[in-house]
Amino acid sequence: MVQRARGTAVIWRMWRGDPSINAYVDGWVAPRLKARYGITLTAVEGQGAEIVNQLIVEREAGAGGSADLVWINGETFGNLRKEQLLDGPWAGALPNDRYVDGGSAIIGRDFEQDPAGFESPWGKVQFALIYDSARTPHPPTSVAELGDWILAHPGRFTHDQQFTGMAFLKVLLYALGGGIDRFRGGFDSVAYAEGSSRVFAWLEKHRDSFWRHGATYPAGVADLHRLFANREVDFSMSANQNEVVTKVRQGIVPTTSRPLLLVDGTIANAHYLGIPMNAPNTAGAMVVADFLLSPEAQLEKQRPDVWADGTVLALHRLPAEWAARFSALARDPHALPADSLAKYARPEVSPRYHERLQADWRTRIRQQSL
Amino acid sequence: MGTASDMRGNRRFRPVLLVGLGCSATAPLAILLLGSLGRDWFYPALWPPAFTFNSWLGLWQGGGRMASAFGTSLGLAVATGMLGAALGWPIGRLLAGLEGWLRHLGAGAAFLPVAVPPIALATGLHLSMLSLGLAGTAFGVLLSHLVPAIGYTALYFFGVFTGFDRGIEDEARTLGAAPWQVLWRVTIPMMRRPLAEAFLLGFLVSWAQVALTLIVGGGRVRTLPLEVFALLQAGQDRFASTGALLLVIPPLLVLGAIHLAVARAEAVPL
Amino acid sequence: MAAFLVSLPVLAGLGYSLVASLGLAGPGAAGFQTARVVRVLGERAIWAGLAWSLWVAGAATLLATIGAVVVAVRFRSRNRGDRIARLLAIIPLPIPHLVAAVVGLQLLGQSGFLSRLGAAVGLFHGPPEMPALVYDPGGVGLILTLAWKEFPFLALVAFSVLATRGEALEEVARSLGASPRAVLQRVTWPLLWRGLLPSVVAVFVFVAGTYEATAVLAPSNPLALPLLTLERYTDAALARRGDAFVLVLVGMTVSLLAVMAHEWTRSRWERLQT
Repeated sequence: MVQRARGTAVIWRMWRGDPSINAYVDGWVAPRLKARYGITLTAVEGQGAEIVNQLIVEREAGAGGSADLVWINGETFGNLRKEQLLDGPWAGALPNDRYVDGGSAIIGRDFEQDPAGFESPWGKVQFALIYDSARTPHPPTSVAELGDWILAHPGRFTHDQQFTGMAFLKVLLYALGGGIDRFRGGFDSVAYAEGSSRVFAWLEKHRDSFWRHGATYPAGVADLHRLFANREVDFSMSANQNEVVTKVRQGIVPTTSRPLLLVDGTIANAHYLGIPMNAPNTAGAMVVADFLLSPEAQLEKQRPDVWADGTVLALHRLPAEWAARFSALARDPHALPADSLAKYARPEVSPRYHERLQADWRTRIRQQSL
Repeated sequence: MGTASDMRGNRRFRPVLLVGLGCSATAPLAILLLGSLGRDWFYPALWPPAFTFNSWLGLWQGGGRMASAFGTSLGLAVATGMLGAALGWPIGRLLAGLEGWLRHLGAGAAFLPVAVPPIALATGLHLSMLSLGLAGTAFGVLLSHLVPAIGYTALYFFGVFTGFDRGIEDEARTLGAAPWQVLWRVTIPMMRRPLAEAFLLGFLVSWAQVALTLIVGGGRVRTLPLEVFALLQAGQDRFASTGALLLVIPPLLVLGAIHLAVARAEAVPL
Repeated sequence: MAAFLVSLPVLAGLGYSLVASLGLAGPGAAGFQTARVVRVLGERAIWAGLAWSLWVAGAATLLATIGAVVVAVRFRSRNRGDRIARLLAIIPLPIPHLVAAVVGLQLLGQSGFLSRLGAAVGLFHGPPEMPALVYDPGGVGLILTLAWKEFPFLALVAFSVLATRGEALEEVARSLGASPRAVLQRVTWPLLWRGLLPSVVAVFVFVAGTYEATAVLAPSNPLALPLLTLERYTDAALARRGDAFVLVLVGMTVSLLAVMAHEWTRSRWERLQT
């Protein structure tokens, strides 16, 4: 396989919005791929819905594939599988797959879907709120306390309309709906109906104390960070608990920003790599995926001054020296300790909850009838 | 006969307007410049507390993504400007020669790609490009940019040629000049300014394009506006400001060059 | 003819959208059905979004037109001061809408530059005290930004109209003894208006369909039509993505009406000139 891939080019469609991630991919991964395997890696912009649409249109037009590797998870993976646009199974055949922590609920299941070898894990993140320790020295630590805080500080809290905001709604769903166990095991419309009605009741109760009285919401999490950094709101959030580290380093949020977990539990999920059905260079893509799974690449990725993205490897499966290196990884004062992360981590459930929450939120709260 | 004083004595508005125009022309550039250099610049600071050149330095280092996007944009825009002007001219001239309902239809057809929302245009063009095997290529993106560009330039030349005095050309021909000689020695010199303006039109259409490049290019053809848009959505305001300045400077230069050339050639305002 | 060649891709896009709306192609295709078109057209959100986009386009175009007329009339002589003023007016022309929107956000946001100036002089004591000009239901910040962006284009056209036709006609009127004010009212203004109208229509329809500036400055309710369209196009639920094509058709209908309006005004201007 490695031989077949030597000297080829691999095109990887991924989100290119973060300079830190780009620096890791372009500046660390790509040169090593070139030197060791003779593979030229080109990362191009693309995420989620765009990738799905592009693949659908390509298939309809009978055209050749434009990407060998795609960075996906959750509903994108679900949609691609449903439309049979992914190649596979292949992930289990990778040499570095033996180190993967496949037993973890967070990695072994992508939004409760079985990757089934159609996607290979790459990294792991956990949802966290972000607050400014200078402005809010004693932040709330649970959903209930957060609610009280919002009522006491009107106009200082909101969430965004995209993935991170919806992740926040899911946190509310688990917390108010009676815990995550209620929602495991596929989509249960009864559980959803009960849980979501509580979520929307909570939102309605606090809505008037949201930023702009809850009439409008920032489009994406980047807009929310902007509001937070500029003191329009006092909380931001992120799907990656360590995003604070990189954002402070880039000078985008104040240095006094800190991540915050809620004791009700926050969502952790993994992100993956897939290979489209019409990929021109499948062999090359698999070599790249395997390299990205290697302890060396995973360690580099987790460094706070690189990307601070969690590893999908199981430390107990690694050779001792690697396990030691992971443990010794220097920790940034802005990051959260690993044990509290694990304690409050909750896996994702069926993507249908996410879809329904988003659709219902738009109808009931944002007041769009679509 | 100062026309300003002929107005009902509102002389004092002139300086206000002038200052306003001056601000409108310069303030945005100043804001972008500060934004591209400042870090940790949050409310309520009027001035950045710290500066960094990393977004500018990054143009040359780190794979030079923005630099190569700049190059792609420049190439596409220059090509679109030239082809747009070259193709808009004969179309516009043809349209100007039409009469009646055919004229209306022709002008409407030229305007259609201009009026249609970019998303609609992009979807249709994407399919055509896919079937031609050009989707995701720079050439495919160029063709897609030409669609609205030719719409604009055709309409522009349509206006130019309506009421255009062909007498001069006819005279030249009666004096024995061959058609190509008429074109080269009579028409083109007369058309210098419209050609320059049409080039600018086509250039700008391609230069600022986001939707077409994104969908037809499939994320593989990276132009500067795409990079800026992506950076904004990712919250990287400093890099976005740098890209925005890069995005603004070449068209300003082209505009300036045309203005100078025209001012030298004619005494007509702008 | 060549002009039709140019519009061919548009017609292709139109065709695909029609077909996709009826369920025959594209994401979520499930066979021929008119139910989706009916359902989507029955949603209040679409018409609210369309109305909002038209409101923003109308207000921005109006402001830009007024500005263009004022500047064109005031600064139309050949002296140096006027030439500089005209140049200043046109300088923002090459600035892309996206960049204009970014600047607008940084200037007009509640934590933006104007707000910080206000805080410095003690007018406001925090971002919430500044009036909300961005992400607001009235779209004020978006209107101002778009007006500022379209003003140089309309000004350019206005200058050109006055320069080519205006002087001659004004001379004639003045030599017939009309007062400056009468000249303005009865010659300059109608001439300018007719000459500008096609461009005004073009600007209006462009602003109504523009995406980037709206994405940066608009509120989430009512959601402007271009934003709504893209949201449907990238929806997590595949079946709903087909809705986007119905919205595309709505947008195209507006465009077609604009094309007709543009053609009508353009031929009127043409008749005036000949």
